[in-house]
Amino acid sequence: MKHTTPLSSAIHSTIESIELKNVTFSYSHQKPVFENLSLELPVGQNILIRGEPGEGTSTFLKLLAVVHQPQAGQVLINGLDTSQMSFEEFLPHRMQIGYTFDYGGLFANRSLLDNLTLPLLYHNTFSFEESRERATDLASHFGFAKKLSEKPAAVTGGLRKLVSVLRTLMMNPQMLVMDDPFMGVDPQNVARLITLLNARRERGEIKHLFLTSRDTNWPKQLGCEVMTIRDGIFECEFRPKLLKTGEAA
Amino acid sequence: MLEMAFGQIDSLGRRFISIFTYTLRVLLMVYLSVRAAVYDQAQGLRTVVSVVSSQVYFTGFQALPLISVLAVATGAICVLETFAQLQFLGQADLVGNLMIVIIVREVGPLVTALIVVARSGTAVATEIGNMRANREIEALETMGINPLSYIVFPRLLGGTLSVVCLAFYYNVVALFGGFLVARLLKDMPFMFYTDLLANAITIDDLSMFLLKNTFSGIIIFTVCCYQGMSVKQSAHEVPQATTKAVVNSIIYVVIFNLGVSLLFYLHQLKGWGLI
Repeated sequence: MKHTTPLSSAIHSTIESIELKNVTFSYSHQKPVFENLSLELPVGQNILIRGEPGEGTSTFLKLLAVVHQPQAGQVLINGLDTSQMSFEEFLPHRMQIGYTFDYGGLFANRSLLDNLTLPLLYHNTFSFEESRERATDLASHFGFAKKLSEKPAAVTGGLRKLVSVLRTLMMNPQMLVMDDPFMGVDPQNVARLITLLNARRERGEIKHLFLTSRDTNWPKQLGCEVMTIRDGIFECEFRPKLLKTGEAA
Repeated sequence: MLEMAFGQIDSLGRRFISIFTYTLRVLLMVYLSVRAAVYDQAQGLRTVVSVVSSQVYFTGFQALPLISVLAVATGAICVLETFAQLQFLGQADLVGNLMIVIIVREVGPLVTALIVVARSGTAVATEIGNMRANREIEALETMGINPLSYIVFPRLLGGTLSVVCLAFYYNVVALFGGFLVARLLKDMPFMFYTDLLANAITIDDLSMFLLKNTFSGIIIFTVCCYQGMSVKQSAHEVPQATTKAVVNSIIYVVIFNLGVSLLFYLHQLKGWGLI
């Protein structure tokens, strides 16, 4: 095993463009969620993706974050076709994309502290003590430091969601893709989270933010522009940078 | 009538293709997980050693009581059933050869594999299946952690090591179990029994032992990891994946062991000029 720091190359990787080209995606044996979808995503903004349940907002975020690969078409990041890249080749870009699931994603057999520190320790970003200190500081700020030794099953759904969002933030990614990040989280912590996100945005640490949210008030506080998926058509209520609109089957 | 025959041939062909594809995918997983472990720049040796050691502890160490009982029983039964026949033929000294052929070459690898499938194969398939259902595997990918190097490779390595060690332990205990019966029936001295075994064992037996057990380990843990990884979205798929993991592991291990034995005996017969 080599003992180099993978982040060394990732630090220099900047996400400058995200484009979907003729993307078709469907879950196994089901009607396609997106068919022949082509669009260039606006970068450097906070974007709220809105849509009725079943319109494919979560799927769209997964395609953006390259969690899913389309069955046809390409997801291009900085003009590079992500489907043609191996895990190792994509790693520098991956390290700059933070993705939060709408549910799940925390390791059931690890404590909340271990969940928070896992990416930092794995990628040798910080030492063991430093990683724990950062996680503890963050947990104290959000008022759950006493629960850090608990396993995810022993805490509330809202706290699990919060830890999942904070774990994504621990890696300090340039691009944040968050699927309903405020769902179930108590309002006090949502307010803290928004303050944290805005602060990082101002410092230029977060460059692109894409999120879905059932709540409309919180995204406003992030200054989100709205993009709506309606019957598979993408509608933009702001600076129109779309090349084409996609159609769902 | 002819249509029915064609239908049967088509169905057989489809089945063959599906088995062939499955086998290729499983083999590909071995390659990809080893490749991922080699290319993974972040995963330190400490992470691998930690998962490998816990896998060895669970698969190897915790299986010792069960394997001890089975080993003593099979060794004892083997001598009990054959000793009288050998004495009747005036060939009681062949008990050493018989124990080596039955225990070391054939029964040892198979019984060890079956125990490992039942205990650890199911556990690995269920664990990974649940991780898939809970999106832990996807979460690893989003954090830039390759699940093949972080989850699959250490289990594959630890599992294979455990199978080889466990099979060695099984052989030692089974041969000792055989000695207990030989001692009871014929008051056979320990040194005489060990001499018989030492004279009977050849380099071929050791090669066969290593070949069968190493590949059984690889087969079991790859198939179980593959089945665990095949869980798509929901937890209800986990028991199905585990059942498939057990069935497929046993089938592949038995076919592999049978194939190795067959090739070995064909080679031996050829050496004797019988074929």
